[in-house]
Amino acid sequence: MAKKYGMIHDENLCIGCQACSIACRSENDIPESVYRLQVRVLGPKKLPDGNMIFEFHRQSCVHCENTPCVTVCPTGASFVDENGISLVNTDICVGCLYCNAACPYDARFVNPITHAPDKCTFCKESRLGRGEEPACVSVCPTEAIVFGDINDPTSKISKVLSQRPTYHQRADLGTEPKMFIVPNKKGGIQS
Amino acid sequence: MNPIWGSMEQYNPIVWPWPIAVYLFLAGLSAGSIMVALLVKWNRHEGEHNTIWDAMVKAGAILAPVTIIVGLLLLIFDLKKPFDFYWLLISYNFTSVMTLGVLALFVYTPIVLIFMLLIFEDTIRKVKLFSMLIPVIEFIKGFHSYAKIIEYSLFGIAIVVGAYTGFLLSAIQANPMWNTPVLPLLFLTSGVSAGIAANILVGLMFFKSSINKESIKYLLVMDLRVIMTELPLILVLFVGMMYTGGDSLVAAKQALSTGYWAKVFWFGVIGVGLVLPLIIAFTALRNHAYKVGYIMINSFVVLCGVMMLRFYIVYAGQLFTGV
Repeated sequence: MAKKYGMIHDENLCIGCQACSIACRSENDIPESVYRLQVRVLGPKKLPDGNMIFEFHRQSCVHCENTPCVTVCPTGASFVDENGISLVNTDICVGCLYCNAACPYDARFVNPITHAPDKCTFCKESRLGRGEEPACVSVCPTEAIVFGDINDPTSKISKVLSQRPTYHQRADLGTEPKMFIVPNKKGGIQS
Repeated sequence: MNPIWGSMEQYNPIVWPWPIAVYLFLAGLSAGSIMVALLVKWNRHEGEHNTIWDAMVKAGAILAPVTIIVGLLLLIFDLKKPFDFYWLLISYNFTSVMTLGVLALFVYTPIVLIFMLLIFEDTIRKVKLFSMLIPVIEFIKGFHSYAKIIEYSLFGIAIVVGAYTGFLLSAIQANPMWNTPVLPLLFLTSGVSAGIAANILVGLMFFKSSINKESIKYLLVMDLRVIMTELPLILVLFVGMMYTGGDSLVAAKQALSTGYWAKVFWFGVIGVGLVLPLIIAFTALRNHAYKVGYIMINSFVVLCGVMMLRFYIVYAGQLFTGV
């Protein structure tokens, strides 16, 4: 059975330290001032009891099952690989940016070197190919990110998904992301 | 200063800037002008006029290929990898409206070029520089028994080209103003409106000797009807967004009331593009008066209005997503 890679970002464990973002840049040689991954720090938000919290929002490709980017791509340069990872074949990309326009998650940017859209690949071309976990997962000091094969019931991600409530960003669009978010327990969910 | 998570520059909501708006305008105008030229050619046979010499047919025959080619060049140079554009021609994805558009333009562009060659045959024969085109014309004329069917097909494919520019945007689910079935209809009708205006303008400027006043009046009446159709379509677009609720409702409210683009909509799209032509039609051009000056002003404001509609939809559609 083919693998189906997914990821969980736990908003309770995340502390917004940006280590994931920096690891992503160094492992994947991301050019200056563009990002495959950012962790937005929102707040502080005041809770009803007067205490305050920050919210941490992971900004990256969510690897949809129903991919708006692949549907609109005129040349087939945007595609999903056999393991469910959404990728860009820069050789046949013309740079029309239809995929950027179609992405509801602002996950894509124009790589200043290839001039093609670039995005999170779950480190397929770097670490995943060597059998290692994606860079962001590897460096996270609080283990807020879980990565693995959703099709494998014994994988860590399958276990966490069985035990924790998760939600999808923009679930209303029916894109069915493989990025699952464990909502902040305090103050209610704001997707 | 950048926030702690880094530069936000790549998150600019305007992914498709002005060249896309201009292309959408030119593609709509091209389709509209050839449709209008064909309608005149088919329907305006009164008196001694052979419609092939009608200035409106000539204007359409030259405008349709020129605008679509300029539009396509603009589009190609707006690509991030313009020299790889040939992949659009050899690698297809049939779920992509852009691929479907490429295929439609594959058929449309050569036919409008051929139409131009045939309408301007006499001119081409007179000018030495164009002499190499004569064998091409002779070859095409060998198929004259299919002329009518090709003209009908051209009309059909022009509708496809006019409407596809709308579907191109409406396929994008994340932008509520784009993701509506009204957009292709709106772009098609406003394209016809632009086609009428551009044909009249070019006809009055360059083909004065073959102007048939009756054809101009026929087109002005048609333009009035098209504008009367556009107004309810725009209304339906926003009412539809409001009834959808959620992000769509927020986007509609913002797009109609916030900042620069709301002004462009109310003063440009509605005021200049739709209300002003109606005022001209019911005052200066009342009872089908033939006043060249006013007819030209009318055509010019219609063109400005259609251009502003494309800019408004492209920019406001990306800026106001209700999220």
